[in-house]
Amino acid sequence: MKQFVIIGNSAAGLSAVEAIRSRDKDSKIIVLSDEEHPSYCRCLISYYLAGDVKKEKILYRPESFYKDNNIELILNKKVTRVDPKKNRIVCQDKSAFDYDSLLIATGASPKFPDTKGIKKTGVFGFRTLKNTMDIDGLLAVTKSACVLGGGLVGLKVAYALKKRGVDVKVIVRSNQVLSQILDPEAAGLVKKKLEDNGIEVVLGEGVSEIIGEEKEIKAVKLDSGKAIGASLVIVGKGVSPNIDLVKNTDIKTGMGIISGNTLATNIENIYTAGDCAESFDLTLGKLAVNALWPVAVEQGKVAGSNMAGEKIQYDGSVAMNSLEFFGLPTVSLGIYNLKDLQGYLELKTYDRGANVYKKVVLQNNLLVGAVLVGNINSSGLFLKLIRERIDVSTLRDKLLEDNFGYPDIMDLVKDKEKLYV
Amino acid sequence: MRSFMKKLYYDVKKCLGCKSCELACSLAHSLTQDIFKAIKEEKKSLPRKKVHSSKGNNYPVSCRHCKEPKCVDACMAAALYRDDQKDMVVYDQERCVGCWMCVMSCPYGAIRPNILTKLAIRCDKCQDKDEPACVKACPTGAIIWCEEAEVKV
Repeated sequence: MKQFVIIGNSAAGLSAVEAIRSRDKDSKIIVLSDEEHPSYCRCLISYYLAGDVKKEKILYRPESFYKDNNIELILNKKVTRVDPKKNRIVCQDKSAFDYDSLLIATGASPKFPDTKGIKKTGVFGFRTLKNTMDIDGLLAVTKSACVLGGGLVGLKVAYALKKRGVDVKVIVRSNQVLSQILDPEAAGLVKKKLEDNGIEVVLGEGVSEIIGEEKEIKAVKLDSGKAIGASLVIVGKGVSPNIDLVKNTDIKTGMGIISGNTLATNIENIYTAGDCAESFDLTLGKLAVNALWPVAVEQGKVAGSNMAGEKIQYDGSVAMNSLEFFGLPTVSLGIYNLKDLQGYLELKTYDRGANVYKKVVLQNNLLVGAVLVGNINSSGLFLKLIRERIDVSTLRDKLLEDNFGYPDIMDLVKDKEKLYV
Repeated sequence: MRSFMKKLYYDVKKCLGCKSCELACSLAHSLTQDIFKAIKEEKKSLPRKKVHSSKGNNYPVSCRHCKEPKCVDACMAAALYRDDQKDMVVYDQERCVGCWMCVMSCPYGAIRPNILTKLAIRCDKCQDKDEPACVKACPTGAIIWCEEAEVKV
């Protein structure tokens, strides 16, 4: 009987498990997680901290999922080494597991800058349910907090802390929030929304030191010399792929573990998916890590299917982010900011009165990116156009119109429906 | 019991773009189910179907209940899932946080955000009724409610 081993129990790991089980009811599947909880909605931890989501709704699958699907789930188990020659993985506690087919879906971990004082108690990353519960436990005695970094995780945790009555400031090194997903115009609209709702954002400032005792933070010192009082610090400086377990093996790595177009690594029976995987990015035209929930699910599905014997090709990933703060929906797809890029064309509209900003990025008549704020109704159509690499030259004047709809693209897309007769 | 195999089809030649389907859909999903009261509801019911015009024709657009739904893959709250028995994508509103990942991933643009309720607006095929409200409301018979094998092209 074949033995599948899945390292990682979140979006990519679980979707692979489901893809395998839908094709193969009998083989043994072992899922290993270094966390203490069964699979939960990782992107919802900020909502949980805010009190918007109750604990019973945070599980991604019902508790009976593993038993119902005959899956052996092993929690609190950190895999430290993969041995492709022996088809074996080894864990921190020296236990080992053999596999016929392996999926590495180890995810990513928060990056911590080497700022002085960053190791003090009271400084947290924000990635896991455990992080969330640890922070939650401190809120009764927390009056003020600083969030380092203006990315999506940083802003979401800032929202949660504010909702819980904590005075929160977000310290951002760059000159805009969300610099990894939005252009300065869109970021300005989001920032204003946050500030209108009591979340202070400090731009263009680095943090030089976290001041206080080892076990009690007092303040955050900025590069400018100014100090901001805070007893809690959350670091939201991005994540890096968890790939230590394949260091010094034959498995190829770059920023993440490199996957081919079946999501296998360079070793035939080892696959990778999700935040630890570096795969082809459709809009960039090169390998990239897109550490995003929906990308992890789609990659896990392809990897799992192929592990179970299918021959599915993965076209590649597209950066895609959807967010909403205080009633302002925002979507970013693909290439969002040209900065010094050459050979692209931007089309934009900005309706100040309605607070609606829309932008599309074209390259040789292909849509390769979009930013939408205030009205995101076209975002799914844009993603379709990007994914299928459709020539949009006939649509140029329509793309940014409010009534842009599926009928405008239906003759151009690959799959033809029989819905309209 | 009503057939789970029935789907919505559209005879484009008959669609006038009158938006009676939009109105009926909003009403059917309102709290009061009364048109004069429904327009005064604090969080107004919005249509799950929108009529789009392109090249002189009108096309009602709503959820296809895809076999491999992108919205389900993207849903980070596990609020959307596919029920193969009912042949539809089901939405557990209690789990939804309003992140709009489903809006971003629907290749038909058939899901829209309701900012006030923080819920996704998408067709539920009027589960509690004998047939969808849009079918009954269409004055020209452009909306067809039938099984796939019965569609006449």
